[in-house]
Amino acid sequence: MEFSELQRPSSTIAHSYHGAQQLVRLRSKSVVSNQNGPQFNWGSPPSEGGEEGDSGPPKDLRERPMTMRLKRAIREVQQMRVPVVTSWQSWKRSKAKSLSRFRADAGGVMSYVALWRKALHKIGGHFGGGVQSYFIFLRFLVVLNFLSFLLIAGFILIPSIVFRSTSTSNMTVDSTGPEVCKVYDPNLQGLVVFYQYFLDLLSGTGFMEYSYMFYGYYNNTVAESSGFHYNLPLAYLLTSVFYFAFCLICIIARMGSALRVAVATGSGAAGSYSKMVFTGWDYGCQGDRATKLKQKSIHYQLQVDLEEERLQKKALSLTLGQTVGLCSLRIFLMLISLALIGGAFFGIFKATVFSQVQVGAEGILGLFWVYLPSIVITTGNFVVPFMCDQIALFERYSPSTTIIVALFRSVFLRMISLGVLLFTLWSQITCFKDSPKCELCQYNNKEYPCWETRVGQEMYKLALFDFLITIAMLILVEFPRRLFVDHYSCVLTRWVGRQEFLVPPNVLGLVYGQTVVWTGALFCPLLPLINTLKFFILFYCKKVTLFSNCRPAVKTFRSTTSTIFFLVVLLFGWGLALVAMIYSLAQIHPSMSCGPFRSLTMMWSIVPNTFYTLSLTTQDFIFYMGSQAFSIPLFIFSCVVLCYVAALATVYGKSVDLLKAQLKLEGRDKQFLVKQIEELSREMGVPTRDQLDTFDTGAAN
Amino acid sequence: MGTTASQLGKDLLSEYQELTFLTKQEILLAHKRYSELLSKEDRNLTSVPMEKVLSLPELKSNPFRKRICHVFSTSDMKDGSLTFEDFLDLLSAFSDSATLEIKSHYAFRIFDFDDDGTLDGGDLEKLVNCLTGKTEDTRLTPEEMRQLISNILEESDIDKDGTVNLSEFQHVISRSPDFVSSFKIVL
Repeated sequence: MEFSELQRPSSTIAHSYHGAQQLVRLRSKSVVSNQNGPQFNWGSPPSEGGEEGDSGPPKDLRERPMTMRLKRAIREVQQMRVPVVTSWQSWKRSKAKSLSRFRADAGGVMSYVALWRKALHKIGGHFGGGVQSYFIFLRFLVVLNFLSFLLIAGFILIPSIVFRSTSTSNMTVDSTGPEVCKVYDPNLQGLVVFYQYFLDLLSGTGFMEYSYMFYGYYNNTVAESSGFHYNLPLAYLLTSVFYFAFCLICIIARMGSALRVAVATGSGAAGSYSKMVFTGWDYGCQGDRATKLKQKSIHYQLQVDLEEERLQKKALSLTLGQTVGLCSLRIFLMLISLALIGGAFFGIFKATVFSQVQVGAEGILGLFWVYLPSIVITTGNFVVPFMCDQIALFERYSPSTTIIVALFRSVFLRMISLGVLLFTLWSQITCFKDSPKCELCQYNNKEYPCWETRVGQEMYKLALFDFLITIAMLILVEFPRRLFVDHYSCVLTRWVGRQEFLVPPNVLGLVYGQTVVWTGALFCPLLPLINTLKFFILFYCKKVTLFSNCRPAVKTFRSTTSTIFFLVVLLFGWGLALVAMIYSLAQIHPSMSCGPFRSLTMMWSIVPNTFYTLSLTTQDFIFYMGSQAFSIPLFIFSCVVLCYVAALATVYGKSVDLLKAQLKLEGRDKQFLVKQIEELSREMGVPTRDQLDTFDTGAAN
Repeated sequence: MGTTASQLGKDLLSEYQELTFLTKQEILLAHKRYSELLSKEDRNLTSVPMEKVLSLPELKSNPFRKRICHVFSTSDMKDGSLTFEDFLDLLSAFSDSATLEIKSHYAFRIFDFDDDGTLDGGDLEKLVNCLTGKTEDTRLTPEEMRQLISNILEESDIDKDGTVNLSEFQHVISRSPDFVSSFKIVL
């Protein structure tokens, strides 16, 4: 058997696609001259491997890499052999088949309903997975905002409209406190200039201030008709809290699937060259231009990585003096970038204070003062990362580290600048330094008769300004740049080149916008709706600029890890908004002149007040759930579950290592056996594989 | 077995649905596109020659297009022509719902330029040249190529025989989460 195998051309000797194991097995079996597919064991019963769960024999067949002819023949054989199964098993199998068919049909329907599916597919084909992940993230945010708006509309907006219009059985409890605190007159009297409406639209004052848009318009009605009891303040509070929880659940659910894939595939550092070469090509690329660009980007990536490896080898050989010099340079530059960021924060603080002082200025100048914090934040968000990028050129990190450092700096800058703005606002409202302004009403009622509306207005302005700036950048910078580069060719245009669609800054812009919405949702309930529209329009604008003005990025962004990164940054924003909300709910005295909480000392106190009106048994039950007798056993139980899952994870990790070692041993087995074949054939005087190879290539030439 | 009739029979359609990863709409669309490839004269042919297949916009600029046709072709003349069922096999392997095993299996066969069952240095060099482009200014320099191939073999050749076989290839692929989404051709 061995001789006849060796006599055949080397291409059929055990070069089936099974690997080492089959090599050993096939030496005792005759080789079927079907070079196109692997062997199939006709003798195996059809029920093996196809019975478990919902995968009947058809699914098993699909997963075999064979031609259609072979698969059909196997299926016929399988169908001829009627397996002896009980009626229960056959019922289960037929139900599983119909379930999988239903799932396939449902999947088909869902793909029609999914928003922007074709556009995303086109973007992915032309610009790669990294840019596509940005647009998928944008779509996720649009859907999230829309669902949040439905939630808010259902529980706050519609009941409010209904109660206001019917105005029967309303109970508006007046607040107790000094009369001067209850003064709030947002309606402008008299004639207004016609462009005042436009200014009001941009800054949320005037006709917009006392409307469903802002907190101040809602009453603390407790509607009671026959059997129907609706406590609007309680609904307002609980909806806001539930809105945060709902967003958290959506983000975590989305992160879970991406994390599962990332954990399963392990660290991405090792094996990067083989991964890049074997999995680097995107088969969805269509068109000559896209293909050439992709080839250029792969070429660039390989060159950069090979160069980085050469540099690393050189860096290991640096002397001690050079390493110390490099480290001190890096620390110095890091301090400079931190100083820049600190300077930006100080600028925002000063601008916010100044803007609050300038309330009441008229016309365009008034609008400018009102928008001053937003302007300073946006300027900072442009200027500071640009300067940090220039600094990073001197730091001489490796390219991948540079990107990560730049990203973290930008995230830090954006989130903390928003935090500084909020902190300034809050300190103004609650008179941080204990000035006499706040003694009367526990908040600064002179400048902020209805402080929640003011905060809502600030958030609304931030969101709107962000949107306007993006559109302005598109029209005033990106389109002219493209026209300039395309029609004039001088040294400057060649150096500047066409715009590159950088994913990380764009994603940070989205996260910033979403954080502003989360912070402002408590005070401006319609903000999620505005944000839905904003992101919806942004999708189309970004798509237009992508296809007209941009060239694909040479450095591609990995799509799976980037999804996780986007969601982590989104969680940072969520955390910041949560801190702001908790502080507002629990620490600041609500305005006595407006809003659903005007009669309370603290927004949160509506919950205990309502709680004590529940029946006694319910109160006792809830007290029990919070007591130690319940929570300590619960805590111990969750610790036990955690330990079990951790132990399971360690065991799986160990078995993965064992299997890897086994794989190495198998390879050595194969080498040993191949050597044995060669020795035996040498003893028998039969030409070896190498001799046959040279004979073959010689004959072919 | 292949059909050039203008309509696919219902049981044939359900059989294809069971044997491939394609949905009903995808199979019908594939049938439509395949029939368009057949010109009026060769209506009696059961297989489409390779040049016609390569005129599909999804395959036209793919650097691996010839290898894809050769791998999926079952013709005896080894000329890369595809019957309708070969075409369905191709689309099934490149579809959304195909498993990682199927995709990695066919990717391995596509990259195996000399069809000897393993990826040796020559195969890897041709593969890298396809990835970076065939023209002179897009190729890697010989030293870079040598460095790259030795790095690849060091990372993926577990049994140290100088070639990458199917199991080693699948091991590398299993650690890359983006492969399933990039190894996709949708009509």
